[in-house]
Amino acid sequence: MTGLVRALGRQASSGIEGVGRITRFGGLIVRAVVVPPTRTRFVLSAVYDSGVLSLALVCASGLTVGFVLGLQLYNTLSRFGAEESLGTAVGLSLIRELGPVLTGLLVTGRAGSATTAEIGAMKATEQLDGLRMMAIDPIHFVAMPRAVALALVMPLLSALFVIFGVVGAYLIGVDLLGLDSGSYIANLEEAVEFREDVLQSLVKSLVFGMLLGLIATWRGYACEPHASGVSRATTSTVVTASVCILLADYALTALWGV
Amino acid sequence: MTAGGADESHVALSGVGLAFGRRAVFDDLSCEFPRGRISVIMGASGMGKSTILRMIGGLQRPDRGTITVAGREITSLGEIELGRVRQRLGMLFQNGALLDSMTVFENIALPLREHTRQTEDDIRDLVHERLESVGLPDVEDLLPGELSGGMLRRAAFARAIVMAPEILLCDEPFSGLDPPNVSRIESLLMHLNRDLGLTVVVTSHHTATSLRLADQLVLLQEGRAVTGTPAELAASGESEISEFIGEDGATFLARLHQSAPGAQGGPSS
Repeated sequence: MTGLVRALGRQASSGIEGVGRITRFGGLIVRAVVVPPTRTRFVLSAVYDSGVLSLALVCASGLTVGFVLGLQLYNTLSRFGAEESLGTAVGLSLIRELGPVLTGLLVTGRAGSATTAEIGAMKATEQLDGLRMMAIDPIHFVAMPRAVALALVMPLLSALFVIFGVVGAYLIGVDLLGLDSGSYIANLEEAVEFREDVLQSLVKSLVFGMLLGLIATWRGYACEPHASGVSRATTSTVVTASVCILLADYALTALWGV
Repeated sequence: MTAGGADESHVALSGVGLAFGRRAVFDDLSCEFPRGRISVIMGASGMGKSTILRMIGGLQRPDRGTITVAGREITSLGEIELGRVRQRLGMLFQNGALLDSMTVFENIALPLREHTRQTEDDIRDLVHERLESVGLPDVEDLLPGELSGGMLRRAAFARAIVMAPEILLCDEPFSGLDPPNVSRIESLLMHLNRDLGLTVVVTSHHTATSLRLADQLVLLQEGRAVTGTPAELAASGESEISEFIGEDGATFLARLHQSAPGAQGGPSS
């Protein structure tokens, strides 16, 4: 019994210590954002790696989610004679929830894991120590540009996901199932409000991007410097960031007063 | 011994203790590395040779004891203060530690771009000069992954010396190199030390090269350091030292001792 309590205490203490460390790391990244040099070139390069290279995945996923939504919602709504509300249902579900959350999960798997693996490999091969020995802060040089890039690309990718989703549902609802095109677009336009829906969606994506940027860079930075350590850190990034995104989604939705 | 502050301690470890988990690496390690001299740290694998370099560079904090680098006690310094000390150091890592997403040129130019206001033309000239000094004139546009092990080590060497450091730390600079490249790095270290007055601290398993190079040898044995010039060690006759440096090393030291009969004193620990 005493052993169990002791083990629980150790776990709790280690968890609190971990939260403290990642919070401090987040503070150092924020400081690195405001302390010159700006590292614009490295941020742009990271935007390319995290954003541009994720485009195909996000667009294809958005389109297929749109297909499925179009098909499912049309069939469900038509039972109540409300198939003309397809635009409303698709627009609101994609913009408010599915766009930011699914994009967050996709980018976590595609770019978050890659960021952790890259930084972890740099640690394992002493590249981060090499930077330190040149009096260059690895958080400023390596972690900050990647974290900023993930925070920047998430809203843009989420917006693209939503656009492709709306197009996918249009193709199924209008072109395949014969819904009136004007009614799909008019209902979509009427239902979606900028502050309540679009802004909420963008804010959610930005928060998810910041969370992912922090978790992915921290896990790489703090990983054990060998192959299995990097592997564990990469897995941990995907699991932790996915759970955090889902929890943050609930919190933001509740806070927004929906 | 030469004038100009030689033998004044440039780097000193005093009462250093360090353990990784339950494994104690050092219990009470004390040794000094004189200014303007080449010191070679030798010892069996796992005795903590590289760890000493990492502690001098502030990459590894000891559990206790003090480390003084160029007059500053570094064990209590924060990263920003350590950065200032590190600008006076150059370090060659065992595997090079070049940034693999940057070309060789960008790697070597990086500290110049970060810490100096030199023009791109000046930086280009300096990088070329350093690459030529290590015998790598045509690799600047290659990525580190495109270089052989020996070329990688030499490119990393060029990066370590590009800021003209006061103290150069080299972790196994000869391992994995062919004899011509060992000679090249050896000559380069000699040149940097004799002509530019750098304090050089090297870890090495290459007994013959180490004995040729060293003004001071630091032999690590079970967490303690036995320090002395090669001649002093030759005169000591300690069986553990003889065992470690092997027959070739012993012959070399005996020859050295015969050629310098005035050598006095003995190793200190």
